Amino acid sequence: MSTPSDLRDKLRKKRRALQESLGKVKDDTQALVPSDSDVTKENERTAVEKLTGRGDDPGETLRRSLKAQRMKKKKKLLEEMSMEGPPEEEMVNEEITAVQELQHDQEEHSVETLAEEGRSVRLQRDLPPLPVARADSSLSESSMRQRMREKLRVARSKAASLLQQEASLEQPSHLRGPRDRETLTRFDRETDLDVHEEESSFAARVKFRDAARKATRDKRTETGLPTEEEAYKFFTFNFDPEPQESRRKDRAKKKTRSTDDEENEGEEDEEEEEEETGRARAREGEDESRERDEDAPLVRDEEEDLFIIDQSAKDFLELKKADYIGYNRRVLREREIFFTPSTRPVPASCKLPENVQPRYLEDEGLYVGERPPVALSNQNILENRILKEDGGKKWFGDDGRILALPDPIKESSSRPPLYHLEEELDPALQTVYRKPLKSKYVNRYIAGVGDTQGDYQLDVDVSGLIFSHHPLFSKEHVLGARLAQLYDQYLSRQHKNLTCLLTDKLNGLRNTIRNMLELHSGEGISHVTQQRIAEYKQEVRHTRQLRDTEQEKDRTLLKSIIKVWKELKSLREDKGCTNTPYKLYIRREEIQRALDEQEQEAEILAEVAELQAESEEDYERKLNEYKRKHEEWKSWKKKQKTLKKKQKQRRQQSQDVDEEEEEDEHSEEELGEEPVKPEAPEKPDIAGLEQQVREKAAKIRRKPGEPVLVPELTASNPITPNEACPRGEISRREDVSKRSLFVKVLYNDKEVSRTDSRSLNMDFRVHFGQIFNLKIVNWPESIKLQIYEGVSSSSSLIAEVCVPVPESSVLTGSTPSEELEFSSNQRVTFNHEGVGSDVPVSFTNDGSNIQTLLTSGKLSCCVSWAVGEDDIPLAPPSTQHGAGMHSGLRQMDAIACIGASGLNDMKRLGKWAAESRLDPNDPNNASIMQLLSVASGGEVVAPDYFRLEQLQEEFNFLSDEELERSRRFRLIRLRSQEEPEFRNFKTIPATEREISEKVFEEYDRRLKEGEVIDTKEHIDAHRALVAKYLQKVRESVINRFLISKHHYILSDLVVEEEVPSIGGPGQGVLGLNLFKLAEPKRPLKPRRKERKKVTAQNLSDGDIKLLVNIIRGYDIPIRKPHTSKPAAGSKGARSYTETFTAASTSQTALQASEWPLGQPVIRPFVEVSFQRTLLQTSTAEGPNPCWNEELVLPFSAPNGDYSTSSLQAVRDEVFISIFDEVLHDVVEDERERGSSVHTRIERHWLGSIKIPFSTIYMQSRIDGTFKLGTPSVLLGYSKERSLGSEGGYDAIRSLSEGTFLTLFITIEPQLVPGDSIREKMKDVKFDTQEVERLLLACEIFEKDAGQRYPDRPCVTTVVDINGKTVFITRFIRPLPPPQELLDAFPNNSQEATELVVRYVSLIPFLPDSVSFAGICDLWSTCDQFLTLLAGDEEEHAVLLCNYFLSMGKKAWLIIGTAIPEGPTAYVLTQEQNRYLIWNPSTGQYYGQHDTFCPLQTVGCLVNADNVWFNIQLYATPIRMSFDVTKPKFWKPFFSRSFPDPGLSSVQPEDLVYRRTDKAYAAELQDRIEKILREKIMEWRPRHPTRWNRYCTSTLRQFLPKLEMSGGREVAEEHRLELQSLLGDYRISGFPLHLPFSEIRPIIEAVYSTGVHNVEAPNVEFALAVYVHPYPSNVLSVWVYIASLVRTR
Amino acid sequence: MAELHIIGQIVGASGFPQSSLFCKWGVHTGGAWRLLSGLKEGQTQVDMPQIGDTAYWSHPIDLHYTTKGLQGWPKLHLQVWYQDSFGRCELYGYGYCHIPSSPGQHRLQCATWRPLGTWQEQLAQMFVGGGPQLRSPDLIYSGADRYRLHTVAMGNVELDLCVILRHFDRYGVES
Repeated sequence: MSTPSDLRDKLRKKRRALQESLGKVKDDTQALVPSDSDVTKENERTAVEKLTGRGDDPGETLRRSLKAQRMKKKKKLLEEMSMEGPPEEEMVNEEITAVQELQHDQEEHSVETLAEEGRSVRLQRDLPPLPVARADSSLSESSMRQRMREKLRVARSKAASLLQQEASLEQPSHLRGPRDRETLTRFDRETDLDVHEEESSFAARVKFRDAARKATRDKRTETGLPTEEEAYKFFTFNFDPEPQESRRKDRAKKKTRSTDDEENEGEEDEEEEEEETGRARAREGEDESRERDEDAPLVRDEEEDLFIIDQSAKDFLELKKADYIGYNRRVLREREIFFTPSTRPVPASCKLPENVQPRYLEDEGLYVGERPPVALSNQNILENRILKEDGGKKWFGDDGRILALPDPIKESSSRPPLYHLEEELDPALQTVYRKPLKSKYVNRYIAGVGDTQGDYQLDVDVSGLIFSHHPLFSKEHVLGARLAQLYDQYLSRQHKNLTCLLTDKLNGLRNTIRNMLELHSGEGISHVTQQRIAEYKQEVRHTRQLRDTEQEKDRTLLKSIIKVWKELKSLREDKGCTNTPYKLYIRREEIQRALDEQEQEAEILAEVAELQAESEEDYERKLNEYKRKHEEWKSWKKKQKTLKKKQKQRRQQSQDVDEEEEEDEHSEEELGEEPVKPEAPEKPDIAGLEQQVREKAAKIRRKPGEPVLVPELTASNPITPNEACPRGEISRREDVSKRSLFVKVLYNDKEVSRTDSRSLNMDFRVHFGQIFNLKIVNWPESIKLQIYEGVSSSSSLIAEVCVPVPESSVLTGSTPSEELEFSSNQRVTFNHEGVGSDVPVSFTNDGSNIQTLLTSGKLSCCVSWAVGEDDIPLAPPSTQHGAGMHSGLRQMDAIACIGASGLNDMKRLGKWAAESRLDPNDPNNASIMQLLSVASGGEVVAPDYFRLEQLQEEFNFLSDEELERSRRFRLIRLRSQEEPEFRNFKTIPATEREISEKVFEEYDRRLKEGEVIDTKEHIDAHRALVAKYLQKVRESVINRFLISKHHYILSDLVVEEEVPSIGGPGQGVLGLNLFKLAEPKRPLKPRRKERKKVTAQNLSDGDIKLLVNIIRGYDIPIRKPHTSKPAAGSKGARSYTETFTAASTSQTALQASEWPLGQPVIRPFVEVSFQRTLLQTSTAEGPNPCWNEELVLPFSAPNGDYSTSSLQAVRDEVFISIFDEVLHDVVEDERERGSSVHTRIERHWLGSIKIPFSTIYMQSRIDGTFKLGTPSVLLGYSKERSLGSEGGYDAIRSLSEGTFLTLFITIEPQLVPGDSIREKMKDVKFDTQEVERLLLACEIFEKDAGQRYPDRPCVTTVVDINGKTVFITRFIRPLPPPQELLDAFPNNSQEATELVVRYVSLIPFLPDSVSFAGICDLWSTCDQFLTLLAGDEEEHAVLLCNYFLSMGKKAWLIIGTAIPEGPTAYVLTQEQNRYLIWNPSTGQYYGQHDTFCPLQTVGCLVNADNVWFNIQLYATPIRMSFDVTKPKFWKPFFSRSFPDPGLSSVQPEDLVYRRTDKAYAAELQDRIEKILREKIMEWRPRHPTRWNRYCTSTLRQFLPKLEMSGGREVAEEHRLELQSLLGDYRISGFPLHLPFSEIRPIIEAVYSTGVHNVEAPNVEFALAVYVHPYPSNVLSVWVYIASLVRTR
Repeated sequence: MAELHIIGQIVGASGFPQSSLFCKWGVHTGGAWRLLSGLKEGQTQVDMPQIGDTAYWSHPIDLHYTTKGLQGWPKLHLQVWYQDSFGRCELYGYGYCHIPSSPGQHRLQCATWRPLGTWQEQLAQMFVGGGPQLRSPDLIYSGADRYRLHTVAMGNVELDLCVILRHFDRYGVES
């Protein structure tokens, strides 16, 4: 402490601390943020410091620094508390400046200190601590200090005295306190700090110096700009003048005084002890240099600040004033950066290259455009600027001016103005205001569907009407009307003046001819000229004729006018009164007689001359003709003669009769050709010609000299007033005045408006003058005007006038009103003067000249399309449909503008114009002519083609062909087009090579098939044709229905669960279920659970299964021991009455006895095959087995498409066959019998049944007992009936013969059956010829039926093959069956009936539902059916019904449902009080009470007169009555309220049957046999197939017998026959009977019997085919197939 | 044989004055393009959002094109319609955008506009509905001079399209 160095150090520290605190304060004021950052920097530094300090004494330094920091914080806070508010800052700022000043000029120091001294009086309180502080300084120093202090004090006192004079008394006293405190605290702090500083500051010093330097550098850079203080001064200068500044200084002095002292002292010390230590000096020097630097001490102080200040909000925030640079300064600075070109003109020399004289092009005589005016100053500025640039001279031209275009402004604006061009708007850009449109389906029947311009208006202008005859006309009126009419005619003729025109033309033509002749003067007339002259002459003749007729007309008209006028006059005189105002004046125009005569004469002469020339010519021509013909005739005669001569010669030579005949014929022929000998023409009578001409002239022309008569009709004649009239006339007039007229306007036969009622005037003219604006919605079909005449209140229709619907180009304003004539044939008579109507009237007194007049007149009206406000016609487009997107453009049709709408083809227009010889000068035609000239003039040449994308070709990747060739693309396209072959292709390979060509083969073939018919497939060309035709029909129908198929209704798309509701008819789901809840649970009574229906979308393969439950069978044939004796009792003559009444039990007893006891009678099993899956039941035993087994067959939809339509189209059938399992012992060696069992199983087909999948799908389940299709003869089997003989069963069962199977089939899960087509059909309107009323009634009838009995089909209208709706009764008409069928059993009508039924059933069956999948039934008429030879139940039923009717039976068509067909048609006949139901497609018949009748429900009955709907309780035939006369049971369609309108039948009168060629049948028979043989061998690839020829021939003989017997069992004889022949064989076989359509079904049928499967080594086969022809190519095919096994 | 698949959806529309909207759309291509499968035009259902103003249609678009040239790259044009409470429909906007030509998924915003019409028409539209429509809607995607047309901006239609290109590189088109 006492060492001088220590002291010095201390002092220095203190000073530093002081300076630092000052600097800090200064920093604070200078910029809050920088200082803050400094502070933070310092904090960082402290951290660094700590780290560095840790090196020597980490714990100590840390503690210290922490302590120091804490201290600093405290102080800082205190400081902050003390110095708040701007005045303080200000003050501090002043202090700083003071310090700075002090440091800068040391010389002034004394003065200032003095000044401070002066102030010390005031600041005495401050002083005391100083001595205290000084107290610890050394004694040696204290003397010096004392001295200094003395000095200072003196100076201060002086200064104080000086100051006190001018001292501002206003100096705020409150400032003092904080100031004092501040200094105090600062000093305190410093003293505390000293200790710490010494250690810690050293290490950090180096770094801080850097920082300090940086700071100084920053400061220096700042110096260029006005510093904060400067700026501050700048602002504050004026407000705080000098005195304040001095005071400020003083204050600063006072505050820093002590420090200053110390500094001074220190400095002095330093000076004194400068040489003490080098190290110290070096440091000192540094310090000094820093001190000298104005910022150095401030910056240095920061290092101390580190420990003083810590972060606080204040440190981060800083209030900063808006940056502003003074204007002058800115201008100055900008001046350095910016270049402002001057506005003074640039001397030319600067602008041009050196030594070049400006060259003026104008002076050289070149044209230089006038430049746009530019202000000179602007130009100068530009030039100046350009020159300043590099290479700026290039912008100047030779004349020293800036290069410029003469006029840079474009003449036309490149962007046309926006507004005022609405009418010229590009049509594509035009917008239409459209009203909001209703959905399409709502306004389907409104005109202008689709496009919303449906704002159409028709203006109907009814201006008035004039009666040309009215019942109330008096005779005078009639004449007057006639006169007026004639006069009108006269006037119009006069107006046209055709006579004059034609005469002029004639003269002109004559002149031309004369001129031409004169020109050539007879010689050298060229061919062309001759032709022209001939043409002219022709024209002359034509024109003359025209003129003559016109003249004649004129004259007769004039005559008749005069005649009528005379009549009128006489009538008026007669009656003594005048009713009409007509008055005819006839003006005479005298003419010069001589001249007239001369003219006439010349005319006549000219005509005569012409006529002469013409007749001469004519004669010449005829003569030539005659000569030619004469020549011909002569030559022919000559030939004839020579021929005859030759003939004679020949006849003499040869006597051959044949030849003679020939010759005769020949000669006759020749003679027949003889031309008529021509007559020579007569010479024309030249003299007579003149006579003729003169006569004609006298008749049609004025006589020469006769005055010209000009009639003039006026309405000036006064009408006799009522009083002066006779009684009759008065009453007529009264009647007239009572009448009134009005006109109704009917639009589409609906009255839309009517005119006011106007009374009839005396002149029988009515003026309405009303215009009706019809806003139309419906497409205009007719516009009618009805004229009504009324007397008082009642009115009657006089006439109806149809006004044509105007074309869309006919617009209001441009169309003149038309006069439409009307007339009425009403008979009206009056007892007064009125002439009446349709009554003979005489106009003369003597009663002659009787005429019958009908009410008639003219209605003047005009119908046109209105024009909208913006001149848009409110007319619908001419074509209602097809006006799609571009309807806007269509309205721009140029031709439509000129009124010729529809003539769109330019060429045709041109042609038409040329043909009709339009006068090009006629102003009426001007527009067309212009159009044509434009069209032909090349301006609007429309090429035959146009190219859409001209440049496309160049940029093509590849050619079209290549694209076409791509199989992949083709496949994708075909799939998306839904071609049937590709419709459900799931995946298409990604690469081309994976697709084989073969994919398309089938498709291409189908396309090609259009022309080629595959006869191989069909064998019969006719049938192939039929198949083709059917295919075509199918396609067309499919196309027709595709629309309806794609028309979805909401329920198709949205499945909405029914909302549970209480109550409601039949739908109270909640209500019912609530009751169910209360029900006791009865586990032993299982209830049927409703299966959940599955929609088809979310299905995939394997999800659907077909469940076939086979329950039991009845009456399966049993085996017969092959060693059987001939059975007795063949069936005698049977009749169908017997078959269902008497049980044929005759043979049962016999057969039963044949069986050895205990031997199995039969071991049947059922095999079900579906979609190539085969499943079979276990084997049961006995003829009435019970299997009760469920078979589950998988179902897969074609191509994995499970959509409804696809499922409906599935053609697969479920085959259910019964087989007999026969075990054969095959042990050869008897010795092995004991130890081993060797059996071979054989299966013998007994019968089968097939159910189409579509039926199962549509019905969702099939439940019932079905009759098996069994062959009529089963070799080795026989019917067994003995078992139940004693029971009552037999009686029922034997009602119908055959084997039965009880089945239950369903689909799991249940599929939602597709909407029946009928429902969809409702939307589709078909063409029809039926009357609307009938169709409406049909709809109501069907709807009603459907509502009451939804499960009973009701059909009233059907669609025929042409797609037209036809009422069903039209199909029923008695038609005769082929005569030969009837002739077959002339005595037995029952046999004949059966034959007819058989015939019908032999026509091949082709279901519509499969062919028209998802579409509808088509009904063809019987002749179509017989031609096509294919049809479904309806066609068969209709044909059978018609046959029955013609055979005199009472027959009806039954529309119902059956199993397994589903909805079908059967035939009902009434026989001896019994009803028989016929299945037309199988030929089976059933009694009404037959339990096995497949018909399940009867919907309606149809015959030729009526349709009856079943309204009985039950619909099954057993439980219902077929008596249609009972209205309780049957609801007739035609009733008393809606009688039968007498519909004609669509069936032909008669059917024409062609005899089928027997030879053809034989040929077919051979072919089928051959094919079958091959097939059977093919099916047995591993075994040899041996044919037993002997058996075959036996069978072949047998087949015709079968056919004869109609398939009835003739088995017994047959079997016996066979057995006698083939006793050694065990035979199993049967005949199959099929109608013939194609060969494929026959093969299928044979295959399905499985006869070929017999694998016994010694098996032999027998096959026989028989084809029996029926009329009209109906063929019955029998295939007898048998397997024979040799038994020994 | 370059192929282009456009698979995606018309997600919905937002920013329209009313939100009971449906959309008619179509894809227009040049002559070189051939549609292999898919529907190239259609109409969405009417969506009446209960919450928010975005009408969601989520209408699928699945098109498969092949082309022999790049010209006439498919463009999608849209018409947004508004169905009012009476079931009447009026036009709310035309929009158009190119199908993106880079493969991948694209979320597109198609801004729509509508012709403005005269003030009478605007007034009528305010009270009785309807509104001006283009006479030839081809204008939506054809580049005619439209500057004379006064239009109002309507909302945005959002599209989500995936574009798959195939074999374009064979013809020198890099994708």
